[in-house]
Amino acid sequence: MWLPIIGLLVGIGLGSTLAIPIPGIYAKYLSVALLAALDSVFGGLRSIIEDKFDGTVLLTGFFSNALLAALLAYLGDRLGVDLYLAAVFVFGVRLFQNLAIIRREMLANWMQKRQLSALEGKKGG
Amino acid sequence: MDNVKKWRTPVLIVFVLLGFLISVQFHTQQIFRSDLSLQSTDDLTLIVKGLQDKRANLEKELQDLEQQQQSLNSDTANGATLQSNLTKESSQLQIALGLIPVKGPGITVAIPPDSNIVYLDLVDIVNELWASQAEAISINDQRITPWTTIYWNREKMTITVNGDDVTFPCTIKAIGNPDTLESGLQLVGGVLDNLAIYKIYPVVHRSTELTLPAAAPPVFHYLQVVPATQQ
Repeated sequence: MWLPIIGLLVGIGLGSTLAIPIPGIYAKYLSVALLAALDSVFGGLRSIIEDKFDGTVLLTGFFSNALLAALLAYLGDRLGVDLYLAAVFVFGVRLFQNLAIIRREMLANWMQKRQLSALEGKKGG
Repeated sequence: MDNVKKWRTPVLIVFVLLGFLISVQFHTQQIFRSDLSLQSTDDLTLIVKGLQDKRANLEKELQDLEQQQQSLNSDTANGATLQSNLTKESSQLQIALGLIPVKGPGITVAIPPDSNIVYLDLVDIVNELWASQAEAISINDQRITPWTTIYWNREKMTITVNGDDVTFPCTIKAIGNPDTLESGLQLVGGVLDNLAIYKIYPVVHRSTELTLPAAAPPVFHYLQVVPATQQ
């Protein structure tokens, strides 16, 4: 359970120690990529909770979503279309959807457990 | 949830990368938040106003400093004038005190050897020359200054000027208007008339250019200047 948090901290530490300078024009694309990555991560958490987890899907989704989002934003900038906004919108909406589903699933699991324990308690008494 | 091993590795990888991305993006944003093109108009207005104030202050400072420089320059000029005035005054005082050699028109009074002359006669001649507006006098290349002594040495029976024996023929040089000086000496009943009584006949010559030597500067051991407030 602690492994993801440790991994996150290691990543943050790595990023701040390396402190890679990103040119200003690419910062926007990086932010879109970060949003896509966040979406993938929450999708992954959701799939774990729903017992539908697949490591390959998560990894490919993580990389392809991030890269494609950045690429599309770049392309949009080149073509004069704000695809950047589309990416922000889509990944933002999905992020919140995933978060909502995770919340509901966790709530459902918790309620189920409580009902079960209550039932066992009645049986025992 | 039951198969932890299945999701552990991918999730770890994904989270490490996510953390990395987050921190990089955070740093980038920290850097570019200070970028002017990303600032809001209000902030930019404030920045511009601050810079304008700063600039006004700096301009004022520059003006002050320029003024200061100007006043310092004029001070320097004043100082230079003062210095040249002081130098002039100092050289005039040195001339007056006989501390530097001087030259100019005047007369020479040659007292022939074997003259029956006493030191008071020399004093009389010098006094007469001063009275005839002489500007500088010397006796045998001894400049006459305020601290000059003209006396006689009892043991050697010689006349001394500034402690040095006067050798004869003795030449007294005086710078001034030659006419005035000569007429002063040759007044009826004057110095030369008095000397003639003792059969002393000094020879007076006019010169267009006489050179008088400098005297040694005086040495003070006891005197002190009275401070201006007590005068």
